[in-house]
Amino acid sequence: MAWTFRFLEKIALADIGFEAEGESVEEVFRGATQAVLETMATPSTVSGGWERAIERSDLDPSALLFDWLSEVVYWKDAAGVVYREAPLTLTREGDVWLLRAHLIGAPVNQQTQELHADVKGVTKHLYELKQTGGRWKVRVVLDV
Amino acid sequence: MRDERGKRDVFETVVFHTLLAHRAFLACRPLHNMNLNTDMTVNRITDEIWEIPISEKPGMLVPARIYATKGILQAMDSGVFDQVTNVACLPGIRRYALCMPDGHWGYGFPIGGVAAFDVQDGVISPGGVGYDINCGMRLIRTDLTLADVQPHLERLMTELFRKVPAGVGASGFVRLSGEEFGRVMTHGAKWCVERGYGWHRDLVRMEEGGCIEGTDPSSVTDHAIKRGINQLGTLGSGNHYLEVQVVSNERIFDPVTAAAFGITGNEQIVVMVHCGSRGFGHQVASDYLKVFEKSMRRYGITVQDQQLACAPFRSPEGQEYFSAMNCAANTAFANRQVITHQIREAFATVFGQSAESLGMELVYDVAHNIAKVERYPEGDLVVHRKGATRAFGPGSPELPEMFRQTGQPVICGGSMESGSYLLVGTDQAVRDTFGSTMHGAGRTMSRAQAKKTIRGAELQEQMKQRGILVKAVSMSGLAEEAGLAYKNISEVVESVDRAGITKKVAELRPIGNIKG
Repeated sequence: MAWTFRFLEKIALADIGFEAEGESVEEVFRGATQAVLETMATPSTVSGGWERAIERSDLDPSALLFDWLSEVVYWKDAAGVVYREAPLTLTREGDVWLLRAHLIGAPVNQQTQELHADVKGVTKHLYELKQTGGRWKVRVVLDV
Repeated sequence: MRDERGKRDVFETVVFHTLLAHRAFLACRPLHNMNLNTDMTVNRITDEIWEIPISEKPGMLVPARIYATKGILQAMDSGVFDQVTNVACLPGIRRYALCMPDGHWGYGFPIGGVAAFDVQDGVISPGGVGYDINCGMRLIRTDLTLADVQPHLERLMTELFRKVPAGVGASGFVRLSGEEFGRVMTHGAKWCVERGYGWHRDLVRMEEGGCIEGTDPSSVTDHAIKRGINQLGTLGSGNHYLEVQVVSNERIFDPVTAAAFGITGNEQIVVMVHCGSRGFGHQVASDYLKVFEKSMRRYGITVQDQQLACAPFRSPEGQEYFSAMNCAANTAFANRQVITHQIREAFATVFGQSAESLGMELVYDVAHNIAKVERYPEGDLVVHRKGATRAFGPGSPELPEMFRQTGQPVICGGSMESGSYLLVGTDQAVRDTFGSTMHGAGRTMSRAQAKKTIRGAELQEQMKQRGILVKAVSMSGLAEEAGLAYKNISEVVESVDRAGITKKVAELRPIGNIKG
């Protein structure tokens, strides 16, 4: 696993901040996605059954990641689901970054799933995707 | 030679004293700032009002004012000072950027932030309202006492937990077509009453009568509708809750006003609800932040924090957001009204009597995440309240007849361990703070820190030992809401009471809590 994430303790007290990092932009996408998934429910307690393929592109990987994370939050409410996993690939074709992802989860079930926070939105507060020392990092604050 | 030595002595003396002065200056800054979590100069106006002058940040158009006791001010996190001064830089702001004593680090505005912008040359900002548009508080009174409820508390909480869905992704029992949801957007709580979810007399006891006029559902995206259409009558998670509380005689501070609000004491049972517009409102905020990010360039607006993205109030984008925000505000009124219906049914089931015979009248419903056009001496202003409550006094013509003598009820939720307060608005609030006051206790600890400090199951057991029964969907979510993560609400309430922008009416002690 070439990505990590950690929840931040001293920012945006009422919300949830995290920092994800990886060896590539694709890896940081994976780390940030996992952080959002785990903010809402423990993925290992969620079975499959609900799936959605999502494809998005943008010239700016930072905007693309923001839109993708917002999409993950959106389907939680629109379909009433939480997620087990979200495999993704990120490729670059010329100047365009192309994300192909699958959201895999199941309808919310309070008896079988370990549920956490109902994320309201991905905020732009302190939001930053950058490369430092050969690794990519993103800081995200989720409104919960 | 002597002259040279003399010059050197003078030079060394000057250097020495300069160094001393510099050291003294450095030592004085934190002292001057009373050990605050900021390097900014903060001047005392009164014991409860503190001002950051416009010289403290480039671009500030007005000073920032924080309402707090000295102790609360010293405990405020650095984000508050930074964010309230960012707000003071927004175009068209009038008088002050304000922060209430429950203020803490949010995104864009601080939580507890209040700012008013001229309708002609000012802006509207989703970051000044929050994702949870019209998140608010509702209080329902009963004729029941603690002695009536205590023997049935477990059953009552189980019934409430069953009837009011809570937690991540929960959906409600009301099934709506897109067209019908459009009527919820335009009619708010009125739609609920028309459908039998409540009583006509409930409406007068809500801010705006539970229905903000002039909304246009075409300003809302299909995306937002799909996200929220199944969530009417749900609590959500985070700091949202439904709480059964007790009012004791000794915790009534103003018996006359309390009686006018239907609060009689004698271990009276009341029910408090804290929630908002759910996924629908969240998506409206997300959608318009994107719109405003793009349009800001066109209007030549720059902001200190991307989350303060805004548009001129009179611009097409500003007006569309205002309409969409009001659609979401109406769904929040409707959400709390459907929840009220479910609460009344739960009580009727458990106590074998109708909700009417149990005296389950609404005390009030008030928003604390909203932007509204209100009239002040400067003219019509777009007042943003983010984690701040409207607090109109007895003289306010906007209030219904029943509150013209008392002022408007203000409902402030504390942590689930410490209790909550019923306050009343004042004319001084209208004069000093654009008719605004606090909304809750305010956090002092992040969610991640709280979870490291206590486990949800342990907290649930501790609270049970203290006579507070908690039903929660998420144990980690419960830990995040532990009382230790919040300020002492009584001290926060004292700040606004002494400042005169609201007055204490009664304290409400929890005995049962439902959390998402």
